[in-house]
Amino acid sequence: MLFKGYDETNRVHRMIRTAVIIFVSLSVFMILWWIVTTWLNNVNFPTPDKVFDALWNLIIYGDTMGGHSLWEYLSASLKTFIQGFLMAAVVAIPLGLLLGYIKPLREFTAPWIEILRPIAPIAWAPILIITFGSVLGSALVVFIGIVFPLLTNIIFGVQRIDKNWLDASKTLGASHFQIFYKVVLPATVPYILNGIKVGLGVGWMCIVAAEMYKRSGGIGQFLVDVVNNGQMANAFAIIIIIAVLGLLTTGVAEYVSKVVSRRMGLDA
Amino acid sequence: MSKTEMVIEGEKYSAKDRVRADRTDALYEDIPEGAPLVKIENLNVTFRTNEKTTVAVDNLSFDIKKGELLSIIGPSGCGKSTVLRCISGLQQPTSGTITIGGNQCTTAGSDRGMVFQDFALFPWRSVRKNVEFGLEIAGVPKEERKERSDKYLKAMGLEEFADARIHELSGGMKQRVGIARAMIMHPAVILMDEPFGALDAQTRNILQEGLVKILKNSQRTIVFVTHSVDEALYLSDRVLVLTKRPATIHTMLEVPGDRPRDRGDPEFIRMRKEILSFLQSQNTMFE
Repeated sequence: MLFKGYDETNRVHRMIRTAVIIFVSLSVFMILWWIVTTWLNNVNFPTPDKVFDALWNLIIYGDTMGGHSLWEYLSASLKTFIQGFLMAAVVAIPLGLLLGYIKPLREFTAPWIEILRPIAPIAWAPILIITFGSVLGSALVVFIGIVFPLLTNIIFGVQRIDKNWLDASKTLGASHFQIFYKVVLPATVPYILNGIKVGLGVGWMCIVAAEMYKRSGGIGQFLVDVVNNGQMANAFAIIIIIAVLGLLTTGVAEYVSKVVSRRMGLDA
Repeated sequence: MSKTEMVIEGEKYSAKDRVRADRTDALYEDIPEGAPLVKIENLNVTFRTNEKTTVAVDNLSFDIKKGELLSIIGPSGCGKSTVLRCISGLQQPTSGTITIGGNQCTTAGSDRGMVFQDFALFPWRSVRKNVEFGLEIAGVPKEERKERSDKYLKAMGLEEFADARIHELSGGMKQRVGIARAMIMHPAVILMDEPFGALDAQTRNILQEGLVKILKNSQRTIVFVTHSVDEALYLSDRVLVLTKRPATIHTMLEVPGDRPRDRGDPEFIRMRKEILSFLQSQNTMFE
């Protein structure tokens, strides 16, 4: 019912248009990259052809110097990332809902959040990694990166809930607890998912940075290693891999968020 | 089934149901029809902001009789919705008491069901799940919930839309869900806050007729806030006419004749004229 507005041909048309724009945009980007690097003529800034050559070799042969495959680095990073993400979700979702729902609690904790939130998550890396080791320490940096956008999104979402829903459930006899899990929780799902989307992006930045700080066997460490060995084409290839993975995670999160919100009738 | 053929049979239940949150009308079954059920005494509501104090409701007292449909009408912004929200418990009065069958109402509860102007349905729930919300809250078992929601969905002509999503419904259908959601709980009193205010004139008429049909089959106590004189006279047993803010009672009118009423009846037209001219006299917008 909601999407009867535009028909199938129109949708195909739009998809083709988007694809063409992306293709042209990326092509221009490559050309600019090629011009700038050729003009710089600096060994630290390889031209795109060398970088894509290196990318291909990385995917096929892995890290020839360290003797690891690309997947080993990625899976190590991914494990740390998932750990950090799960910790953030477990803490931020219930906490955000509670803080959004209970005003005195929100007002009391607001100064804490406002003090801690602007600190770059990576600033915690030295302390956390020295205390908890490189893997759990890095996961905790990811946790900090994800937990704040998730928390603030959820708190905002709870406050944005249509007051009529709360009134309606009160006149149907719902207790505070029932309102919390039958109205506040479902009504906040789009904000939880949006917070996860934003958090995943921040989390990716954090994992690479944290791994660069201390050897944890992940992709960040690999990046530092290749730079130290002067393999600049490999370094840029790794950056491309990080970029694509970041794009993929946020893209999937965005899609899930859209579909779920629409299914729940909360996409207005 | 046509949209106007909404029928709900009166339901009977035993003494042990008296304590159930989904059968609060059973609490007051000893009060005879036509006797005062809800008493509003010396109701005052004052809104305070930093700059000024606004008296919204000024010392209002009236009764709501069991089994009647009482309309509250008054000039725009006079505080009629505030009165309703006080009865529901969603708004705390500055002073005054509201009692149902002698029990004082302080907070909102399932004994005072509410129908909202903008429906206030839960979009993540299906039509059926919306209607069953209160039963779920009251802990009614699944089979009984289904049995009862089936009945109300049928009465509202919504049985084909039981599994539909709220955003797939028209405004009129949405409000039928809203009415079913309130009525299924058998509240002692149903409060309707301009329930048809967001609908077009045709849908409005259809739902008014539908409500009349429902009341023929299932005696309910209803307080109905509206800004439409026509609607108030068509539906109500009594019409409470309020003055402009701060709201005080202008008159309490008894509307003669059984429902459904003839809108062309001379008495109907006379009363409509009388109320309209009063409301017009209360309008200070262009002075």
